[in-house]
Amino acid sequence: MTDHPARKQDQAKLLVALQDLDHMIRDAEDAKTAAKMQEMGFTMDGIAEIKKARVELTEHIKPQLLNRYQRVSQNYERIVVPVVKDLCTGCFAKVATSFRYEKTAVVTCESCGRILYFT
Amino acid sequence: MMTSQELASYFRESLCIFDLKATTKREALAEMVEAVCAEYEIKDRGLILEMLLNRESLGSTAIGKGVAFPHGRTLAVRDLSIAFARSARGVDFDSTDKKPTHAVFLIIAPPQDRDNLYLQVLGRIVDLIKDDASRERVQAASNYAELKSIIEGQGL
Ligand SMILES: [Zn+2]
Repeated sequence: MTDHPARKQDQAKLLVALQDLDHMIRDAEDAKTAAKMQEMGFTMDGIAEIKKARVELTEHIKPQLLNRYQRVSQNYERIVVPVVKDLCTGCFAKVATSFRYEKTAVVTCESCGRILYFT
Repeated sequence: MMTSQELASYFRESLCIFDLKATTKREALAEMVEAVCAEYEIKDRGLILEMLLNRESLGSTAIGKGVAFPHGRTLAVRDLSIAFARSARGVDFDSTDKKPTHAVFLIIAPPQDRDNLYLQVLGRIVDLIKDDASRERVQAASNYAELKSIIEGQGL
């Protein structure tokens, strides 16, 4: 990872990667999903590996953003959500157009507080 | 229950590669993700690749007989996307039976996708491939029309 201050897009991407990993861990630990996967023939015994990858990933995320992620996760299952047609896809509130061009901060929905990801 | 036609409708011609250049798992995934990102105009290909590689560390998706099913969910994609690749030479996909992989089905879905659709599609493809005759035909398919007719369950 780079030493220079992470740009906003990089940090937002890291939060997306973190959420993807959390979904994967949850699926692997969910008995029903794991049973379905096993039935298809897939093994998922490397859970320790991806938990390690999660720790490594969080080391690159600014602590205040990580805190924000944890905080939002207490209220919602989907923490980072994509903005589609200027709408937060978590709560469907309108997102200010200027947010898309915000260069320094990772932005959250003013209505529901979820972290926004611009695709 | 999804019909074979519905399943086949997820296979786009531009996402079916019949002469995969890759020889390693990472290269194969990168080549296929590249195709998906070009087709769906996705900018964060790195996120998709990272998710797929993490899924592989959870357990190889090359579950034998020359076929791999890399899959997972990521916010980087908007819709359920499938890509197919065939390699005559074979890819070292870290297969459970240690044999080279000749056919790869890539299935990626957004997290908000209902579990059902994503797992249903994966399950259907795995079922199709468990059938020896279908699997051999898939591994020998040389064009999109051929592949599609196998998925649709024609000529079996
Ligand atoms: Zn919202």
